[in-house]
Amino acid sequence: MEPMDIVGKAKEDASLPKATMTKIIKEMLPPDVRVARDAQDLLIECCVEFINLVSSESNEVCNKEERRTIAPEHVLKALGVLGFGEYIEEVYAAYEQHKLETMQDSLKGAKWSNRAEMTEEEALAEQQRMFAEARARMNGGAITSKQPEADQSLES
Amino acid sequence: MRQAGAYSGLLCGGVSGRTGPHSLPLARIKKIMKKSGEDVKMISGEAPIIFSKACELFIQELTRRSWIMAIQGKRRTLHKEDLASAVIATDIFDFLITLVSNSDSHETTSAIMEVETVDFS
Repeated sequence: MEPMDIVGKAKEDASLPKATMTKIIKEMLPPDVRVARDAQDLLIECCVEFINLVSSESNEVCNKEERRTIAPEHVLKALGVLGFGEYIEEVYAAYEQHKLETMQDSLKGAKWSNRAEMTEEEALAEQQRMFAEARARMNGGAITSKQPEADQSLES
Repeated sequence: MRQAGAYSGLLCGGVSGRTGPHSLPLARIKKIMKKSGEDVKMISGEAPIIFSKACELFIQELTRRSWIMAIQGKRRTLHKEDLASAVIATDIFDFLITLVSNSDSHETTSAIMEVETVDFS
Protein backbone atom coordinates (compact mmCIF):
# COMPACT_ATOMS: atom_id res chain seq x y z
CA MET A 1 0.00 0.00 0.00
CA GLU A 2 1.32 3.43 -0.91
CA PRO A 3 2.36 5.62 2.03
CA MET A 4 -0.02 8.26 0.71
CA ASP A 5 -2.97 5.96 1.18
CA ILE A 6 -2.39 5.68 4.88
CA VAL A 7 -2.00 9.38 5.55
CA GLY A 8 -5.39 10.84 6.53
CA LYS A 9 -8.10 9.58 4.26
CA ALA A 10 -10.04 12.81 3.98
CA LYS A 11 -13.56 11.49 4.03
CA GLU A 12 -14.79 15.05 3.78
CA ASP A 13 -13.71 15.02 0.14
CA ALA A 14 -16.55 12.94 -1.18
CA SER A 15 -19.87 14.19 0.01
CA LEU A 16 -23.35 14.25 -1.45
CA PRO A 17 -24.88 17.16 -3.33
CA LYS A 18 -26.69 19.45 -0.94
CA ALA A 19 -29.45 20.38 -3.37
CA THR A 20 -30.54 16.79 -3.98
CA MET A 21 -30.33 15.97 -0.30
CA THR A 22 -32.37 19.05 0.62
CA LYS A 23 -35.10 18.01 -1.81
CA ILE A 24 -35.32 14.54 -0.34
CA ILE A 25 -35.43 15.96 3.19
CA LYS A 26 -38.04 18.58 2.41
CA GLU A 27 -40.31 16.09 0.68
CA MET A 28 -40.55 14.19 3.93
CA LEU A 29 -41.72 17.20 5.90
CA PRO A 30 -44.80 19.43 5.86
CA PRO A 31 -44.21 22.63 3.89
CA ASP A 32 -43.97 24.87 6.94
CA VAL A 33 -41.34 22.80 8.72
CA ARG A 34 -37.83 24.15 8.34
CA VAL A 35 -34.48 22.51 8.77
CA ALA A 36 -31.65 24.35 10.47
CA ARG A 37 -28.59 24.57 8.25
CA ASP A 38 -26.36 22.65 10.63
CA ALA A 39 -29.00 19.94 10.88
CA GLN A 40 -28.98 19.65 7.07
CA ASP A 41 -25.21 19.35 7.03
CA LEU A 42 -25.35 16.73 9.73
CA LEU A 43 -27.94 14.75 7.81
CA ILE A 44 -25.61 14.67 4.82
CA GLU A 45 -22.77 13.48 7.01
CA CYS A 46 -25.01 10.76 8.41
CA CYS A 47 -25.80 9.63 4.90
CA VAL A 48 -22.13 9.41 4.00
CA GLU A 49 -21.59 7.41 7.16
CA PHE A 50 -24.45 5.14 6.13
CA ILE A 51 -22.74 4.49 2.81
CA ASN A 52 -19.51 3.74 4.64
CA LEU A 53 -21.25 1.31 6.94
CA VAL A 54 -23.13 -0.55 4.24
CA SER A 55 -20.11 -0.55 1.93
CA SER A 56 -17.94 -2.17 4.57
CA GLU A 57 -20.54 -4.81 5.21
CA SER A 58 -21.07 -5.36 1.49
CA ASN A 59 -17.35 -5.84 1.15
CA GLU A 60 -17.50 -8.47 3.90
CA VAL A 61 -20.39 -10.26 2.25
CA CYS A 62 -18.53 -10.22 -1.05
CA ASN A 63 -15.40 -11.61 0.62
CA LYS A 64 -17.29 -14.43 2.26
CA GLU A 65 -18.76 -15.44 -1.07
CA GLU A 66 -15.29 -15.29 -2.57
CA ARG A 67 -16.36 -12.97 -5.33
CA ARG A 68 -14.15 -10.25 -6.70
CA THR A 69 -16.70 -7.56 -7.33
CA ILE A 70 -19.27 -6.06 -5.01
CA ALA A 71 -22.57 -6.80 -6.69
CA PRO A 72 -26.08 -5.55 -5.94
CA GLU A 73 -27.02 -8.72 -4.09
CA HIS A 74 -24.12 -8.20 -1.70
CA VAL A 75 -25.40 -4.76 -0.86
CA LEU A 76 -28.92 -6.07 -0.35
CA LYS A 77 -27.65 -8.75 1.97
CA ALA A 78 -25.59 -6.18 3.85
CA LEU A 79 -28.69 -4.07 4.38
CA GLY A 80 -30.37 -7.07 5.93
CA VAL A 81 -27.46 -7.86 8.20
CA LEU A 82 -27.26 -4.29 9.45
CA GLY A 83 -30.92 -4.08 10.39
CA PHE A 84 -32.15 -2.22 7.32
CA GLY A 85 -34.05 -5.22 6.00
CA GLU A 86 -37.17 -3.10 5.61
CA TYR A 87 -35.45 -1.23 2.81
CA ILE A 88 -34.63 -4.27 0.74
CA GLU A 89 -37.89 -4.70 -1.11
CA GLU A 90 -38.18 -1.09 -2.15
CA VAL A 91 -34.53 -0.81 -3.05
CA TYR A 92 -34.70 -3.90 -5.22
CA ALA A 93 -37.84 -2.67 -6.97
CA ALA A 94 -36.15 0.65 -7.73
CA TYR A 95 -33.14 -1.20 -9.07
CA GLU A 96 -35.24 -3.32 -11.41
CA GLN A 97 -37.15 -0.26 -12.52
CA HIS A 98 -33.88 1.51 -13.21
CA LYS A 99 -32.64 -1.36 -15.35
CA LEU A 100 -35.79 -1.33 -17.42
CA GLU A 101 -35.62 2.41 -17.94
CA THR A 102 -31.97 2.14 -18.83
CA MET A 103 -32.74 -0.40 -21.49
CA GLN A 104 -35.46 1.80 -22.91
CA ASP A 105 -33.02 4.70 -23.02
CA SER A 106 -30.36 2.67 -24.74
CA LEU A 107 -32.90 1.42 -27.25
CA LYS A 108 -33.77 5.01 -28.04
CA GLY A 109 -30.12 5.88 -28.32
CA ALA A 110 -29.43 2.98 -30.65
CA LYS A 111 -28.55 5.38 -33.42
CA TRP A 112 -25.34 6.19 -31.54
CA SER A 113 -24.09 2.71 -32.09
CA ASN A 114 -22.03 2.15 -35.22
CA ARG A 115 -22.90 -1.47 -35.45
CA ALA A 116 -26.56 -2.41 -35.71
CA GLU A 117 -26.51 -4.98 -32.95
CA MET A 118 -30.16 -5.80 -32.98
CA THR A 119 -33.09 -5.20 -35.22
CA GLU A 120 -35.95 -3.41 -33.60
CA GLU A 121 -37.85 -6.68 -33.30
CA GLU A 122 -34.94 -8.33 -31.56
CA ALA A 123 -34.62 -5.37 -29.24
CA LEU A 124 -38.30 -5.49 -28.36
CA ALA A 125 -38.06 -9.22 -27.76
CA GLU A 126 -35.09 -8.60 -25.49
CA GLN A 127 -37.08 -5.98 -23.63
CA GLN A 128 -39.95 -8.40 -23.10
CA ARG A 129 -37.53 -10.99 -21.86
CA MET A 130 -36.08 -8.61 -19.31
CA PHE A 131 -39.52 -7.50 -18.16
CA ALA A 132 -40.41 -11.15 -17.61
CA GLU A 133 -37.14 -11.72 -15.82
CA ALA A 134 -37.72 -8.75 -13.58
CA ARG A 135 -41.27 -9.84 -12.85
CA ALA A 136 -40.10 -13.32 -12.03
CA ARG A 137 -37.46 -11.98 -9.69
CA MET A 138 -39.88 -9.71 -7.91
CA ASN A 139 -42.44 -12.47 -7.52
CA GLY A 140 -39.80 -14.99 -6.58
CA GLY A 141 -39.56 -13.32 -3.20
CA ALA A 142 -36.35 -13.99 -1.29
CA ILE A 143 -33.13 -13.04 -2.91
CA THR A 144 -30.65 -15.85 -2.52
CA SER A 145 -27.19 -14.84 -1.44
CA LYS A 146 -25.35 -17.22 -3.71
CA GLN A 147 -26.18 -16.10 -7.19
CA PRO A 148 -23.37 -16.83 -9.60
CA GLU A 149 -23.30 -14.53 -12.62
CA ALA A 150 -24.20 -17.38 -14.94
CA ASP A 151 -27.64 -17.65 -13.41
CA GLN A 152 -28.52 -14.09 -14.22
CA SER A 153 -29.72 -14.98 -17.70
CA LEU A 154 -32.81 -17.04 -18.32
CA GLU A 155 -31.22 -19.37 -20.85
CA SER A 156 -31.32 -22.79 -19.30
CA MET B 1 -25.72 -6.81 -21.69
CA ARG B 2 -23.74 -3.61 -21.83
CA GLN B 3 -25.76 -0.43 -21.53
CA ALA B 4 -24.78 3.18 -21.89
CA GLY B 5 -22.11 3.77 -19.22
CA ALA B 6 -23.60 3.84 -15.77
CA TYR B 7 -22.34 7.32 -15.12
CA SER B 8 -23.23 8.90 -18.41
CA GLY B 9 -25.81 11.64 -18.33
CA LEU B 10 -28.47 9.13 -19.36
CA LEU B 11 -28.61 7.49 -15.98
CA CYS B 12 -27.84 10.20 -13.47
CA GLY B 13 -31.27 11.27 -12.36
CA GLY B 14 -32.98 14.11 -14.11
CA VAL B 15 -31.98 13.55 -17.72
CA SER B 16 -34.55 10.79 -18.03
CA GLY B 17 -37.15 13.42 -17.32
CA ARG B 18 -38.35 12.02 -14.03
CA THR B 19 -38.96 14.82 -11.60
CA GLY B 20 -40.28 12.60 -8.83
CA PRO B 21 -37.60 10.44 -7.36
CA HIS B 22 -34.36 12.34 -6.91
CA SER B 23 -31.31 10.29 -7.71
CA LEU B 24 -28.08 10.77 -5.91
CA PRO B 25 -25.11 10.90 -8.28
CA LEU B 26 -23.74 7.42 -8.87
CA ALA B 27 -20.14 8.50 -9.39
CA ARG B 28 -20.13 10.30 -6.07
CA ILE B 29 -21.60 7.29 -4.32
CA LYS B 30 -18.97 5.05 -5.85
CA LYS B 31 -16.27 7.42 -4.65
CA ILE B 32 -17.54 7.25 -1.10
CA MET B 33 -17.77 3.47 -1.31
CA LYS B 34 -14.16 3.24 -2.40
CA LYS B 35 -13.06 5.33 0.54
CA SER B 36 -15.08 3.36 3.04
CA GLY B 37 -12.34 0.93 3.90
CA GLU B 38 -8.81 -0.30 3.38
CA ASP B 39 -9.42 -3.23 1.08
CA VAL B 40 -12.52 -2.39 -0.84
CA LYS B 41 -13.10 -4.73 -3.73
CA MET B 42 -14.08 -3.71 -7.21
CA ILE B 43 -17.55 -2.29 -7.32
CA SER B 44 -19.99 -3.36 -9.99
CA GLY B 45 -21.60 -0.60 -11.98
CA GLU B 46 -24.95 -1.55 -10.54
CA ALA B 47 -24.08 -1.44 -6.85
CA PRO B 48 -24.23 2.38 -6.60
CA ILE B 49 -27.74 2.23 -8.01
CA ILE B 50 -28.79 0.12 -5.05
CA PHE B 51 -27.12 2.63 -2.73
CA SER B 52 -28.87 5.54 -4.33
CA LYS B 53 -32.27 4.23 -3.31
CA ALA B 54 -31.10 2.91 0.03
CA CYS B 55 -29.69 6.33 0.91
CA GLU B 56 -32.92 7.96 -0.05
CA LEU B 57 -34.84 5.66 2.28
CA PHE B 58 -32.29 6.20 5.02
CA ILE B 59 -32.49 9.98 4.80
CA GLN B 60 -36.26 9.80 4.76
CA GLU B 61 -36.33 7.68 7.88
CA LEU B 62 -33.81 9.79 9.76
CA THR B 63 -35.63 12.96 8.75
CA ARG B 64 -38.98 11.60 9.81
CA ARG B 65 -37.72 10.43 13.18
CA SER B 66 -35.94 13.73 13.78
CA TRP B 67 -39.08 15.59 12.94
CA ILE B 68 -40.99 13.59 15.53
CA MET B 69 -38.43 14.78 18.06
CA ALA B 70 -38.93 18.38 16.98
CA ILE B 71 -42.67 17.99 17.41
CA GLN B 72 -42.14 16.68 20.91
CA GLY B 73 -40.16 19.83 21.56
CA LYS B 74 -43.08 21.81 20.12
CA ARG B 75 -40.94 23.25 17.35
CA ARG B 76 -41.41 23.56 13.60
CA THR B 77 -37.71 23.75 12.87
CA LEU B 78 -35.46 20.71 12.88
CA HIS B 79 -32.27 21.15 14.82
CA LYS B 80 -29.16 19.04 15.27
CA GLU B 81 -30.44 17.98 18.67
CA ASP B 82 -33.46 16.41 17.03
CA LEU B 83 -31.17 14.36 14.85
CA ALA B 84 -29.18 13.32 17.89
CA SER B 85 -32.33 12.33 19.76
CA ALA B 86 -33.60 10.32 16.81
CA VAL B 87 -30.30 8.50 16.49
CA ILE B 88 -30.24 7.59 20.17
CA ALA B 89 -33.81 6.37 20.06
CA THR B 90 -33.23 4.06 17.10
CA ASP B 91 -31.15 0.90 17.44
CA ILE B 92 -30.14 0.61 13.83
CA PHE B 93 -28.79 4.16 13.93
CA ASP B 94 -26.29 3.28 16.64
CA PHE B 95 -23.47 3.65 14.13
CA LEU B 96 -24.25 7.37 14.05
CA ILE B 97 -24.01 8.05 17.77
CA THR B 98 -20.40 9.21 17.65
CA LEU B 99 -21.09 11.38 14.63
CA VAL B 100 -24.04 13.20 16.17
CA SER B 101 -22.39 13.66 19.53
CA ASN B 102 -19.21 14.99 17.96
CA SER B 103 -21.32 17.74 16.47
CA ASP B 104 -19.64 20.03 18.92
CA SER B 105 -22.58 21.89 20.38
CA HIS B 106 -23.08 21.80 24.13
CA GLU B 107 -26.83 21.52 23.66
CA THR B 108 -26.37 18.31 21.72
CA THR B 109 -24.43 16.73 24.54
CA SER B 110 -27.02 17.64 27.14
CA ALA B 111 -29.81 16.55 24.84
CA ILE B 112 -28.17 13.17 24.64
CA MET B 113 -27.98 12.96 28.38
CA GLU B 114 -31.57 14.01 28.93
CA VAL B 115 -33.43 12.07 26.29
CA GLU B 116 -35.04 8.81 27.26
CA THR B 117 -35.16 6.00 24.80
CA VAL B 118 -38.35 6.14 22.78
CA ASP B 119 -39.72 2.94 21.39
CA PHE B 120 -41.08 3.46 17.89
CA SER B 121 -42.05 -0.12 17.21
